[in-house]
Amino acid sequence: MSHLTEEQFEDVVQGRTPAPAHVAECPACRDRVAEARAVRARLQASFASVHAGAGLADRLRRATVAEPRRTAKFLRLPRLAWAMAAAAAILVVAIPTVLYLTTPSAAAAAQRELVRIHTGNLSAQHDVLTGADPAQVAAYLKAQLGFDLATPRLGQGMAMRGCCVAHFKGQAVGSYVVQTPRGPISVIVVPQAPKDLGLTETFEAGGRTFWGGAFADNCIVATRLGGFTYCAVGEPAHDVLCEILLALGLGEQS
Amino acid sequence: MADRKNFESIAMPHLDAVYRAAVALCRRENEAEDLVQLTYAKALEQFGSFAPGTSVKAWLLQILRNAWIDELRHRRVVGTVVSIEENGAAVADPPHVEEAAWENSAAVLENFADDEVRRALGELPSDQRLTLFLVDVEGMSQEEVAAITGVAAGTVKSRTSRARAVLRGKLMAHAKDLGLLGRGR
Repeated sequence: MSHLTEEQFEDVVQGRTPAPAHVAECPACRDRVAEARAVRARLQASFASVHAGAGLADRLRRATVAEPRRTAKFLRLPRLAWAMAAAAAILVVAIPTVLYLTTPSAAAAAQRELVRIHTGNLSAQHDVLTGADPAQVAAYLKAQLGFDLATPRLGQGMAMRGCCVAHFKGQAVGSYVVQTPRGPISVIVVPQAPKDLGLTETFEAGGRTFWGGAFADNCIVATRLGGFTYCAVGEPAHDVLCEILLALGLGEQS
Repeated sequence: MADRKNFESIAMPHLDAVYRAAVALCRRENEAEDLVQLTYAKALEQFGSFAPGTSVKAWLLQILRNAWIDELRHRRVVGTVVSIEENGAAVADPPHVEEAAWENSAAVLENFADDEVRRALGELPSDQRLTLFLVDVEGMSQEEVAAITGVAAGTVKSRTSRARAVLRGKLMAHAKDLGLLGRGR
């Protein structure tokens, strides 16, 4: 009497083929199939309550599906006025429309990339990142990137968790994770100016200017330092991220 | 605009399935949401290359899987190994709690919370995890899973079998830790 092969076993468990007569006659194979089916059923059940929230669906519609708004009032102009209006329309309607249609997607893409780096930093390996030495982080980033990045001033409940070299718009950029009293944040250092990242909202704090944006559930606050943009990314609100950047000494002139 | 409306009409009905797969891969809900958002953004960008008549769900899940792999490969963490290569690398043998079948498995499994089962799945290497999820939870065919994960159908079957054994071992070990294993015998 030969037992089920792995292939036969999988086909039976998945219901692709009926159980051969051997299964009914062999207690070992029967129990093995029953156990695998039980695990399969329990695994299915464990995901039965997992659904995308309404908030996610709304964000997806806004970010990727919703049609950009546009105006078409100029189409109602009288025929004779059309030619006269055309040149003005190019300036008044077309250029803003082009800016409207292109800038938000580019901004969303840049901010999406920043948040992707942040979430990746957190998901990489928590244990690996914990307890990194700031001096080691600075030396590593300099070796990888070829230039010095400002290292944060720690203390006040903040500790360095680690760093990594990520890719942003095709370039290697440095980032490090700081554990703060408000949760972990990533500081991602990029050469682009804040406005090129679509960060249009500005804040004044501690005599410095900060730029803000958001993607998904994360806020982004950036400041310029030494020719680079230091972007704090995390779940804390904009004003909290400003405070954290200042507390880290990243809002000060080098 | 027509493309966007068409995309919405065919892609959004699969949001739950894509989200479930993201939860299986990421384990954390906020990360899963980010991955789903990235997946839909990429899907919209690639919508022109979608072949009508083929499975939208499989297409979205393939994009999700690729986005996840990109995510893992895009980073190197200082000083040590990030288990990026867990996806295809050698995997430790499943814990051999015991080779004999688990007689009262269904009853014991009922004692586990859903997130305990998902956590056990989450401990599997990514491709094993995704393969078992797609086969067992989403009920996809081996051919569909092969297309999503970029391997041969035979590999899907062996990977499913391997993943099932690893998951079984982890659940049995957990049941032992909880003192559940062996009850009712």
